[in-house]
Parts: sequence; C-alpha cells; structure tokens
Amino acid sequence: MPDVAVIFGGPSPEHDVSVLTGLQAARGLDLAGSGPVAALYWSKTGDWFAVDPGLEAEAFVDGVPRGATKLQLVAAPDGGFSESGGRLGRARQLDIDAAVVCCHGGPGEDGSLQAVLDLAGIAYTGPSVAGASVGMDKLSFGALMAEAGLPTLPRQLLSTDSAAPSFDGPYILKPRFGGSSIGIDVVEDFATAQARLSANPHFRSGAVVEPFRPDLSDLQVAVRSWPALQLSAVERPIRSSATADILDYRDKYVAGEGMAGAPRQLPAQISPSLEKTLREAAAQVATLTGLRGVARIDFLSDDSQLMVNEINTIPGSLARYLWVDPVVSFGELLADLLDEARQRPTHAYTTSGADGTVLRSAGSIAGKLG
Amino acid sequence: MGLSTVAAAVSVARFHQGVAWITVAACGLSWVPSGLRWLRVAQREHYLAGSSTRFAARWWTITPVNRAMAATAVAAGVISVWRPLAGILTGLMVAAGPLGLSLKGRTAPLAWTRRLRTLAGVWAVMEILVVVIGLVTGLASVLTVVAALAVPLLMDAACVVTAPIERRLSEHFVADAQRRLQRVAPTVVGITGSYGKTSTKNHLVHLVEGTSSVVATPASFNNRAGLARAINEHLTDGTEVFIAEMGTYGLGEIADMCRWCPPRVAVITAIGPVHLERFGTEDRIVEAKSEIAVPARDVVIQVDDPRLAALADRLAAEGKHMVRCSASDRSADVSVIREAGTTRVTVTIGGETVATGVELPTGVQPANLACAIGAARSVGVETSSIVSTLADLPAVGHRLQAVRSPSGFTILDDTYNSNPAGARAALAALGELEGPGAADPGGGATGTTAVVTPGMVELGSRQRAENYSFGSEIAGVADNLVVVGRTNRRALEAGAASNGSARMAVTWVANRPQAVAWVRDHLGPGDAVLYENDLPDHYP
Repeated sequence: MPDVAVIFGGPSPEHDVSVLTGLQAARGLDLAGSGPVAALYWSKTGDWFAVDPGLEAEAFVDGVPRGATKLQLVAAPDGGFSESGGRLGRARQLDIDAAVVCCHGGPGEDGSLQAVLDLAGIAYTGPSVAGASVGMDKLSFGALMAEAGLPTLPRQLLSTDSAAPSFDGPYILKPRFGGSSIGIDVVEDFATAQARLSANPHFRSGAVVEPFRPDLSDLQVAVRSWPALQLSAVERPIRSSATADILDYRDKYVAGEGMAGAPRQLPAQISPSLEKTLREAAAQVATLTGLRGVARIDFLSDDSQLMVNEINTIPGSLARYLWVDPVVSFGELLADLLDEARQRPTHAYTTSGADGTVLRSAGSIAGKLG
Repeated sequence: MGLSTVAAAVSVARFHQGVAWITVAACGLSWVPSGLRWLRVAQREHYLAGSSTRFAARWWTITPVNRAMAATAVAAGVISVWRPLAGILTGLMVAAGPLGLSLKGRTAPLAWTRRLRTLAGVWAVMEILVVVIGLVTGLASVLTVVAALAVPLLMDAACVVTAPIERRLSEHFVADAQRRLQRVAPTVVGITGSYGKTSTKNHLVHLVEGTSSVVATPASFNNRAGLARAINEHLTDGTEVFIAEMGTYGLGEIADMCRWCPPRVAVITAIGPVHLERFGTEDRIVEAKSEIAVPARDVVIQVDDPRLAALADRLAAEGKHMVRCSASDRSADVSVIREAGTTRVTVTIGGETVATGVELPTGVQPANLACAIGAARSVGVETSSIVSTLADLPAVGHRLQAVRSPSGFTILDDTYNSNPAGARAALAALGELEGPGAADPGGGATGTTAVVTPGMVELGSRQRAENYSFGSEIAGVADNLVVVGRTNRRALEAGAASNGSARMAVTWVANRPQAVAWVRDHLGPGDAVLYENDLPDHYP
C-alpha cells in the first residue's frame, strides 16, 4: 500500500512552525487510520530525510532528529523520493501516493517545492505553483486585489529610487516575499523607511510600504476548496500586549502549539453586515488566487471598514482550529485535502503546437546566429 | 594404593579446574553491569580517555562501603591465584559496585548511539582478548578476575583505540561542512572562552539580526563534530553572518576547527579554571583559546583579565586588529560599565559614550555584552543600530534567572553555571535580593536564604581550594547551605565551618531531588534559594 507523505520543515524562517504543523498532520492522519504515513523532513539546509512520524517537536530542536534516513528528491517522471545509498548502495524508492505539504514561508510556500513535486509526478495538497507564488508576493497579491475592486490598503514597492508614497506616514514596511510577520518594521517617515531598506536583512529581496493604521485590527477566516468552496468561522486574534505595534510572530506562533494555542476570539463578534462583506470578499479572493487546499485570508478592520490584507496559502496548523462553525474535524480536513490532491491536478503540460514544423523549417543554428 | 592416590590427585585437579570455570563465568558476567556503568561515564565525559579510570578512583573511595567493597574485590582477586573460588567474590563486588553509580542513570541516561555501540564493541573484544590470553597461557581464571577489576581501564583503552576511528568517520561530515561553508560564504565569527561563550553568542545574535541574516551554532554544538553538524544542518543559503561557538578540552582542538571553519572575527570572552584537570595549568588554557585568533582579522577580547590583556598586546604586535572590551575601563575600545548602585550600564565605544542608563536584563554580564558589541561592530553593524537594539536585549536563559515559586519564595536558578567567578556573582545576587535574608541574616522563619549546590568540578588541583572558599563565602551570605552529593562535600563543609562570623546551618543530601524536597519543606513566602550548579549523576 502506498504511503501518504507529510512534508515539513524547509529552508524558511518558519521552519520550526512548519515542523509543528507537519507533526500534527502526521498524527492526525495516523489517528484517522488512513494507512501508512511517511514523514518527510526538509532540513534548514535543504536536505531531505525520512523521519519517524510519531516524533515530538523536541526531536528537531538541535537539527535533524536521530535515526533520520537521508533521502534524495529527483525531479523526473520516474523520480520522487528515494533513500540515497541504501545498505547495498541501491536507492530504494518511496511509494508515495500523495503528499500533505505543511511548509510555511520560503521555498515551501512560494511555488518552488510545488514545481519540483509537479516535475517529480507527486500529487500534493495546497496551492499550485501559480497560487503559491501569488500568495507569497505581497505586491502582486495587493495589486490583484485592487484590480478586482476589493478594498485594500494602498501598497507600494519600496526601493532605493522609489518616490515617496502617495499616502502619509507612519508607515509599515514588510518584506515583499515571506509568509509571516517576520521582518516587519514600523517607521515614522519615508527617510527612515529608505534607511531600513538597506539595514533590514529581510528586505534584501524587496519590500513593500503601506500606511500604518494602528486603529485597524485583524480578522481571519479559513477557506477550503474541496469538495466545494467552504468558509470557516471568522477569528479575531488577540494581541498579547497592548503596546505591541502589530500582531507579531511571537503572538502568532510562539505562544502555544502553533497557531492553535494563540489567544483569540472565535467566532469573532462582528456585525452581521461586516461578516457578510468579509465572507463575500473571502470567496472572491479564493477565486482570484485559484485557491487549492485550505488557506487563511487575513483582513484588517475597524469594525465598519474592511480591507483585504494577505493570504496564507499553507497556514499554520493548516488552520484546523478555525473549523468550529461549520465543524470540520482535522481527520476530515486532511482526508478532503488528500482527495483533492489526488483528483484535482496542479498542472497540465501541453505540447500541442510543438509538432516539429518549426524544427523542420529551421535550417542551421549557425544560420540563425549569423 | 598408589593408583588411588593418583586418581584422587586427578579428581582434585579436575575439581579445581571446574571451580576455575565457575570463577571465569562469574567474573565474565560481572563485566556486563560494570561495562554499562563505565560506558555511561565515558559517554558523559565526551569519550576522553582517562575519564573512566578517574571516575572509578573517585567512586570506589567516596564512601566507607565502597572502599570496603573495593578492598574486598582486590583482596579476593589476589587470593584467587591460589583459591580460584575467591574470584567469585571479586565478580560480585565488580557487578554490584561502586554503590551510588547507577546502571541507567537518572539525569544522564545511557544513549545507545552509533559511537557508543562502537566503543562497547571494542571494549568487549578487549575483555574477551584478556580471557583468550588466559586460556592460551593456562591462567584463565586469574586473567578473568583481572579483566573484571580492570573494566574502567579497558574502557579507557577502548576510547584510545576508537578515537582515530571516530575521527575518520567524522571526516566526511567535516568535508561536507567545509563545502557548505565555502558555498554560503558568510562572515564567520568564532567565540571561545572558559565561560560566557553562549551568553556572548546570544547577545551577538540579537545585535546583528536586525542588520544581517545570521545563524549561530545551537547550544552545546561547540566541538569539532558539533560545529560540522551545525553547519550541515543549520547554515541556510543566504546566511550573511555565521556565529560559531568553539569549545576546547585540549591544545590544538580549536586550531583544528579553525582549519576548516576559519573565523574572520575571533572573540575570547574569559579565562578561568574550567576543565583545569584536563589542561593542567591556566596558561595552557590561555594558549588553547588563543588558537582562535590565528586565522582572524579582528580579535575581540575581554581585557579585564590581565592574562587576556597580555594576550591582546601580543596579538596586536602580530598585526591583528584588536577590539579590547572591558566592564571597568572606559578607555577600552568597547566598555560596558555598571552605573554605581543600579542595574543599568553605560556603554562606550572608542572612549565615547554612546548609551547611558541601559537596563540590563537578568543574568546579562557587562563583560560579555561588551564583547558582543565589539564583535557586532567588527561584522559591520552601525553604532546607532547597536544602541537601538540594546533596549530590548533578552535575558539569558538558565543564567541566574530569578523566579517566584508557587509557595512564594524566590528561586535564583544558576544551575547551568560551573565556574568560580559565576558562582561568586550568583552569591552576590542572592545577597542583593530585596526583602529576604540579606538585611537580616538568620532572621527566623521568614527572610531565610539558602544555597543549594554540589560545588564546582573539573578544577584540577584547585578544586578543593575553590570549593572551600566558596563554602566560606556562602557562610557570609546565606542562612543555610545544602550540599548535594559527595563530590565536594568535605571542601564545602570545611569552608563553611571556617567562616567564624556566620551562624549558617549546613545540611547534606545525596542528590538533587532530595535537595528540592528540603527546599520545599524549609522555605516559604519571603525566603530565597540559590541553586548553584548541578552535576549529572555520574558524579558521586
């Protein structure tokens, strides 16, 4: 019987949170009795290992856990995961039927991993390459929302030669790519913003600037795409301290067991009209980003206005704790994710048109260069 | 008649031979529990040859019962040359003792790692080899008895034999690490010192992480194998600054790490009598630590210690760019100086004051912070950025954390410390605690202070003296001393008794759980306890 794989870790600032999500998923699959589970750990340095799915988080504190078996991932039609250098020097292929991708941030959530899994012929849960990339690029995502007429805060690229934004400070600066709140800066004026651009290591691959609006608070909702589009209850995360500028990484992840342990109001007490607006907007975001799997969409609100902030295409704990109304058990959530992974392809390559006509009439390459 | 005498003689000889086999079996069986004990000690002592024998000498002489058992084992062993049956007694003693050193371990259980299995295999082969030699020479029972008595010695011999094997095995991890390091090409900062390494590393991470992407070796990954593992498993692509903690037990170890992981910035935090029993003298410690400076361009060094100040002058003469750091001298390149009577500090860089009134969180030592600031400057962090990040410096975990127990007394946790200077600082912190004890020593049920400690180890020839003076200093501060374990019992108790001015009560308990129980029974709201150092249970 082929295994269901759980993929977690990865060279990302959210590596540790991903380990928590992955171990929860492995445990959830085991409890649901859906057959053998292969836990595939992606190390911070990009190596692959098969580990015991029953491990506790502590086993990963120092790095690769004891007893891990090194794997190779080959991106070719007969590729996939195999044990490198088995006992007789022969590679043993892992028989994987579908993979639950539990990576957060970095190459696990930006389409890189998804592309390799596509090429290796492994079915997987969550976003496709395109969905993952747009979800990870705050600039593209913001523009997509604005273009579709959804309410958002103005968001602009911050670069060394960019002009002052069309809006006034204080500003909030965010890394352009990245899933969590890591690297976020709040500055008073544009000169400071530009200074931060070279100083903050998280802004190396780009940064965006938005007006800082401390009057707005977060509202979040989970959306899943299979068997049909469905929205969870709306959540209001609670900031751990009144003085904190923003809902930071610590609030989100460190306080408890992934997102599931963070303080929150669930379901959020908001007006029916705001809730209706939020749900309609969330459904639209799902369509615009080609939602696959389960995502969490984050909004900003002052309880009357509503702004789309960002999408997490592979949220912490797979947003399992948000499914209180409607109730979806973790086992059911995972089963539906796997169902979708197997039945809804992430890619369809086509070669129609590449029928040799161009090649036949091409003549010599040297002629083309001349 | 003559014939029956011969028959009797033969049967006696056969009987003796049979008895000899019983002895061989008994002593052979005793290897198993004894081997497990010394395997655990070898593992806890980083597989350094000599540790099993050293600990065996300690354990067998620590209590009257163990001394009696050791004497019995040896005496019976000698007698067994003529009366093979006596060897059974040796086997029994070796299997059962030394009392107190448990087979499995409570604080530090035996972990069957690949390395330990190799060691166990080599050791077992050595034991069997001794018996084979016995069989060939006709001394089977005598040599089995000897082999039982010599388990710790043979364990050390096995450590010697496996050391080159382990080195060969680790070679490819080191090669992988070297390749990764060359590919990622971060600025490498190497930190060493007898103490303060981990704290300095954590401060430096905090100061640098706002400016550069930084990776530091995890706690305790500070030897050759650990450093290679840290690089292979933690050095992510795109890392700009890599901070490597480099520890050493002997000359040449840091030089070896520097060959394949050369730091551009070297940091030497402090020198003290840590691992002195392995180094011999403190000069050799200075020499070992200074190996880190060889490949470095910048050397950040704490110069409050005259030996390190001298080293700094020597390195400067060699053309190194020196960053001298101090917790007392404003004219140093970086100084972090406590403002009199407060928990705040003034920071100077190049003699100029850059920050005043900086509140230091619990456990942060100004000298370590000064070294971290010096290193941060060397990797290109702007002074303004350093100053702004100083404001939210995190406290140092397990380093003198003050917490309140559920029943209302204050706990100072300094269990991860093991050096005399740190112990003195912790004791001072206990004395400074507001409320309890200090203002009113021995003042009845409330405001009682206690120090719980097994004392300090690995101080070589100075161990007794250091613990003696620590005991004496405790008597000047606390109302109660709870000595844990036998390792430093006499030195601490004698030191405590030597301080005539004090009226301190001294209690002895066998282990940590008993000490915790004592604290729970004797302390209440308003009281305070300092837990100073903790020894794993392979120490007596």
